[in-house]
Amino acid sequence: MMAVHQATPRDWKPDEILVVQEVVERCWATIERRTAEERLNQLNSELEQRVLERTEQLEAANKELEAFSYSVSHDLRAPLRTMDGFSQAVLEDYGPQLPEEGRRYLQTISKGAQRMGELIDDLLEFARLSRQVLKTQTVAMDVLVRTVLQELNPPQQDRQIEVHTGELPPCLGDSALLKQVWLNLISNALKYTRKCKPAIVEIGCTALNDTNTYFVRDNGTGFDMQYAHKLFGVFQRLHRAEDYEGTGVGLAIVQRVVHRHGGRVWAQASVDHGATFYFTLGGETKS
Amino acid sequence: MSLKQAVEILIVEDTPEDLELTLRALKKANLTNHIEIARDGAEALDFIFGEGPHLGRKLEDGPKVVLLDLKLPKVDGLEVLKRMKGDSRTSMIPVVVLTSSKEQRDVIESYKLGVNSYIVKPVNFEGFAAAVRDLGMYWLLLNQPPKIEQ
Repeated sequence: MMAVHQATPRDWKPDEILVVQEVVERCWATIERRTAEERLNQLNSELEQRVLERTEQLEAANKELEAFSYSVSHDLRAPLRTMDGFSQAVLEDYGPQLPEEGRRYLQTISKGAQRMGELIDDLLEFARLSRQVLKTQTVAMDVLVRTVLQELNPPQQDRQIEVHTGELPPCLGDSALLKQVWLNLISNALKYTRKCKPAIVEIGCTALNDTNTYFVRDNGTGFDMQYAHKLFGVFQRLHRAEDYEGTGVGLAIVQRVVHRHGGRVWAQASVDHGATFYFTLGGETKS
Repeated sequence: MSLKQAVEILIVEDTPEDLELTLRALKKANLTNHIEIARDGAEALDFIFGEGPHLGRKLEDGPKVVLLDLKLPKVDGLEVLKRMKGDSRTSMIPVVVLTSSKEQRDVIESYKLGVNSYIVKPVNFEGFAAAVRDLGMYWLLLNQPPKIEQ
């Protein structure tokens, strides 16, 4: 391993041998430590390089997505306006000469174009919320819910609605995005209780497995749990458009926002016995 | 004032269908007098600054308002806006961006450049017609523009 060089032969005393052995061992320990450090440094720099590359790829993908939705925003609406606009023009200019059936067909074209416009808007909103950078801060969930309820109040005047709000502890998260979550969940609750007299909506928070779990419960039309896995998909709907209007993007937005906060969202429901939507915000909730 | 009537509205629009719908909406609101049309940003700049085919056109002959699409061939709408607002001869002409885009960056960039109004064209024609009528009424009848001198 290591030879001690001596020009003239001599007898090594045991304590000298011990000293030499210790020096050798220390040398080896140092060499091994240095080698390990070098390897670690190399691994680290490789890792950093990989992180950099991955970040660049992600940024590129994000830019592409942004360019895509920009183009969708600009270009996809124009043909729809053409369809709607010229259907209206025919109705206005030649409506009286058309049979009833013909006028109805034109209105159907118009409606289709407008519907697609709504779908595009919602999809763009979904994409926007997905790529928006989270601005995390302490969020007063009770204030947020009160604001949402105020915003949703006017169109519901002629209905009999009871809203019960329980204690809502604050959390860490992005206030604007979380407001969207409440808005979508509560407006859904109001929508799917349209036929209930009275409609009862409960909003609260409960500790499940030591995690603050916020919920919105309603006594509305509910849904069959066997389709629950479809709930949060984009454009997925469990109700017919003629019964309950909507594009099927609301819950997809809810899920995306909750996931971005490191949380989970799920629902429990049964047909005609209401639904409850629960969400957590990952490890970031605090009581 | 020259003998030739001043142009009231310059419409900068590349999509023929949107152009036709805009004209239809203006016509319904009886606002079709003295409209000039540019089909891309370069044409718009030529007209506004009296260059190219519009050489010799006097800047005091309008337009009173520019309806500007953003996504245009050759020179895009934001560039047209920038050139207009960056030139003392044209910076006071009201510019209304009339576009399909709701993208925040377009809205923010337009306002930074000094746009006077930003309108998103709705898909629904009734909404679109109402928007064109209202902005025509506002900028041509209600609004009091400064007198532009060369």
